[in-house]
Amino acid sequence: MAQSKLAAVRNLYNSYAAKLLGYIHEVVQDKQVAEQYLQAVFNDVPNEIEELSKTGVNALCRLQIMARQKLVVFFKTFDNETDRQAWQNMSRINNKHIALMTSLQQQVFLGVYYQCKTTSNIAKELNNSEEQIRKTLKECFIIIRTRGNNERVH
Amino acid sequence: MKEYIDSGILEVFVMGAATDEEVRELMYMKTKYPEVDEALKQLEIDMERIAGNMAIAPPPGIWDKIDNEIDDLIRRDTYTAQPVKFRTDHGHNGYERTVQPDQFISIESESNHMRLHKSWRWVFAAVFVLGKIFLGFAIYFYLENRQTQQQLQELKTEIRELKKK
Repeated sequence: MAQSKLAAVRNLYNSYAAKLLGYIHEVVQDKQVAEQYLQAVFNDVPNEIEELSKTGVNALCRLQIMARQKLVVFFKTFDNETDRQAWQNMSRINNKHIALMTSLQQQVFLGVYYQCKTTSNIAKELNNSEEQIRKTLKECFIIIRTRGNNERVH
Repeated sequence: MKEYIDSGILEVFVMGAATDEEVRELMYMKTKYPEVDEALKQLEIDMERIAGNMAIAPPPGIWDKIDNEIDDLIRRDTYTAQPVKFRTDHGHNGYERTVQPDQFISIESESNHMRLHKSWRWVFAAVFVLGKIFLGFAIYFYLENRQTQQQLQELKTEIRELKKK
């Protein structure tokens, strides 16, 4: 039983560790810290293995949610607002999908995805309605999908 | 239904930013309406696409650490889901880990890198500048000495010639 659980974790690790590490690294911007968070997430996978193995559950999305829960603590580690601002201002637009987005779309996407903010918080920060922020987020996914489909065509 | 899908709730969900109530509602909608399920699957593919774009292969040692930790947890048969805190000094240049008292502490680091305080950069800069100054002096005195040696040699030759006369 324990061995099968370990094998299941290993399968998930083989399939998703690289993607998850890439995501965490984009958030924390530090290779060693990212590796430690990756380790921490996978240490918890045995607790979630039933949930992750359920039919219809996307394992990567579930693992990213687990990573976000761990990363909440990371955001509390900033000593002051200057450090937080410096981290927020780090450019993440090297990502080819994000580079195609407008300034507002980038703010919303980066806010939710990398800064783990809620749409209501972003709405307050940008002095906009939450409904509008969610629609902007939807536009971001349309850009990602359009680009992905174009890549497949070429 | 289209209005529900167009509201952006599905995108919020796949990014893990939905509230518990929204998640419950979405799970219900997903089972009841195939178009919601289909839209959600498409978004999950999009998420995999984004993640694939920034994937970084983890170093080989990471799995061994996870394996050891899980083995240990299985032996103890108690999984703890305590928040683990990693941080960077001054934001990004180091990290500390708060460890639960009953957890093992790694005493041997596998990293080949050394972490130094930022103030050391001024020391390194000063050593570099002083090094350049000393090098300049060394070259100057070497050339000066060589010139003196040449002049001395010329004087000796002149004296020898004068003595012959």
